[in-house]
Amino acid sequence: MWHIFVYRLKCLLRDKESLFWPMVFPLILAMFFQLAFSNLNKGEIFQTIELAVVENEDLQNEPYLKTALAQASVGESKLFHLTFTSQAEAEKLLQENAVSGYLEVTGKQVKLFVNDTGIRQSIIKSFLDNYLQTAATVNTILAKNPQKPEQLLSRLSERRQFVAEVSGTSAEPNSILNYFYTLIAMACFYGGFLGLNEVSRIEANLSPLAARVNIAPVHKLKAFLAGFGASWLLHLTEMFILLCFLRYVLQIDFGPKSFYVVLTTIIGSFAGLSFGTFISALVKKAENMKIAILFTVTMTGCFLAGMMYAEIKYLVSRHVPVLAYLNPVNLLTDAYYSLYYYDTLNRYLQNLSVLIIFALLFCLGTYLIIRRRKYASL
Amino acid sequence: MLEIQGGVWKMIVRVQNLVKRYGELLALDHLTFTIDEKEIFGLLGPNGSGKTTAINCLLALLAYDKGEIEIFGRPMTPEAYELKRQIGIVPQNVAVYNELTVYENIDYFCGLYVHDKKLRKELVHEAIEFVGLKDFRHYYPQKLSGGLLRRLNIACGIAHKPKLIILDEPTVAVDPQSRNKILEGILQLNTQGATVIYTSHYMEEVEQICSRIMIIDKGRAIATGTKEELKAMITLGEKITVESQYVTESQLNKLRALPNVISADYKNKQLIIKSGKGSNNLELVLDFIKKEKIQFGKIYSELPTLNDVFLEITGKHLRD
Repeated sequence: MWHIFVYRLKCLLRDKESLFWPMVFPLILAMFFQLAFSNLNKGEIFQTIELAVVENEDLQNEPYLKTALAQASVGESKLFHLTFTSQAEAEKLLQENAVSGYLEVTGKQVKLFVNDTGIRQSIIKSFLDNYLQTAATVNTILAKNPQKPEQLLSRLSERRQFVAEVSGTSAEPNSILNYFYTLIAMACFYGGFLGLNEVSRIEANLSPLAARVNIAPVHKLKAFLAGFGASWLLHLTEMFILLCFLRYVLQIDFGPKSFYVVLTTIIGSFAGLSFGTFISALVKKAENMKIAILFTVTMTGCFLAGMMYAEIKYLVSRHVPVLAYLNPVNLLTDAYYSLYYYDTLNRYLQNLSVLIIFALLFCLGTYLIIRRRKYASL
Repeated sequence: MLEIQGGVWKMIVRVQNLVKRYGELLALDHLTFTIDEKEIFGLLGPNGSGKTTAINCLLALLAYDKGEIEIFGRPMTPEAYELKRQIGIVPQNVAVYNELTVYENIDYFCGLYVHDKKLRKELVHEAIEFVGLKDFRHYYPQKLSGGLLRRLNIACGIAHKPKLIILDEPTVAVDPQSRNKILEGILQLNTQGATVIYTSHYMEEVEQICSRIMIIDKGRAIATGTKEELKAMITLGEKITVESQYVTESQLNKLRALPNVISADYKNKQLIIKSGKGSNNLELVLDFIKKEKIQFGKIYSELPTLNDVFLEITGKHLRD
């Protein structure tokens, strides 16, 4: 067995295809993903809005507005960065897009000037509406109850939350991670090409080489296991190179549970290989046809796991949840994401258990098909 | 008495009433034969006659519908590892790993039979020397010519020094130099004590090296014996060919009437006379040509070939 294992490993290491598809191709794809998605999260980070305020006499008569603006312009997550200037300069800054808008107090009116419509302009308008509404409310209350204005004003600034937000995770949501996790799942299931090869090399009706091995005084299952072991070792090495590249070169976050990430990769690689052996044993067609079927099934699984369009994963989970559990690529993707996002292992273990069941079924199916000792035709 | 160990056995292979069907097609039709120790047994037949199917059944690769197969006196099954250890196979299609060098390929296949590393190393070197691939031991198969590749295919099958070697059309698409080398090698292996089963549709090769021949057609054994025995089975004793510009029908009829002449035909400016067994056929024909004043260029006489045997029994040529 050791003899076959060593030579199979030699063959695999010298076979460009067994290195390209499970390792080089995902590495290239990962770089493309990084290029394509590196700015995706930046759109979700709030950036302080540049706002100009016309410095005039009327503004001095609106001390509460000045206070509200000042409060919104301090701290780490401040809303505005204010520039107090003349009307002409404010207009110039707006034209040059140096500010998103400017405020001008004319008499009792507060006017907002913007050049465009967008999220920043909407935020300024929303802030202003909120201020005007609050000011009107205060004026109304004071007109009816002028006794304790200080008390009212102090309670106005008080914000009370009646609903408490409890996070189930300490991790930040990250929309691009799922793409990389499906990529790893895809690379795991590209190990199926190695598994497919192992069956082709042991089934006498599939290749003259396999016939030659069948004629030798070697138990077929032992020969298969030695070849499978060599393929698995190579594929695991390829997978760890991919993981290291993602973690240390592309800085992809896998969360704090490194041991489980490694365990998931080992099981994912095994599931991928066993899936390939099962397809190869099951499909009684030429090798090219088997490869085409394996590729199609794997890529369909990747698509449904959200590799090409992340929303698909959620659509499947919401509308056809069974399909999410029947898709081993999705199970693997979800296992990685669970490790990153959730503090507990419940969801992760659920995914991994179903994946292990799948892998065992693939192994059993392969064994039942390839255990025959004689062929009806060669 | 047959013994697998102890060194003495006479009958190496016994195939009894072997029947193999592919659906409606009867690939082997009650095939029966035996092979004795140190024979070179030729399985001769046209493409599709059932030679490879018979070999695959013999090796327990193919399931068959009926019959018995014994090798070294024991039933041949897929689990008969002790028997398999004594058998070497050179398949019709070259079956080597393109990712391994010549040396590694031979070592790999030898290692499936021989576990002792030191012994294996010696055997691999011997096999490389034997097939003349010493200068190519570090080459990958893609770099080898068709003939060298066939030699590698043979080396992979014989490196473990099997007692029974099965060569399935080992010279297909091989240059004459490599073909001669292969045939010489098979004779040498036989001299060293191996029993050989050699399948081919090249009658010249089979005639050249085989001590006993079974002619097979449509899955049936149509004749078995030494080449002399096979040729003795047919009426043809001699074929005389005369290259001539013109022969009349009347002259042909007169020829046919000569004693011991089986047939006389004129085609493509060649007069072909087939005679029965006898010692003075050529003399009779020469006398006739002289008497009839037939102009001729070359004249030559041939003894019957295995193709003639096949033709007479089946009514068709071996390579039809």
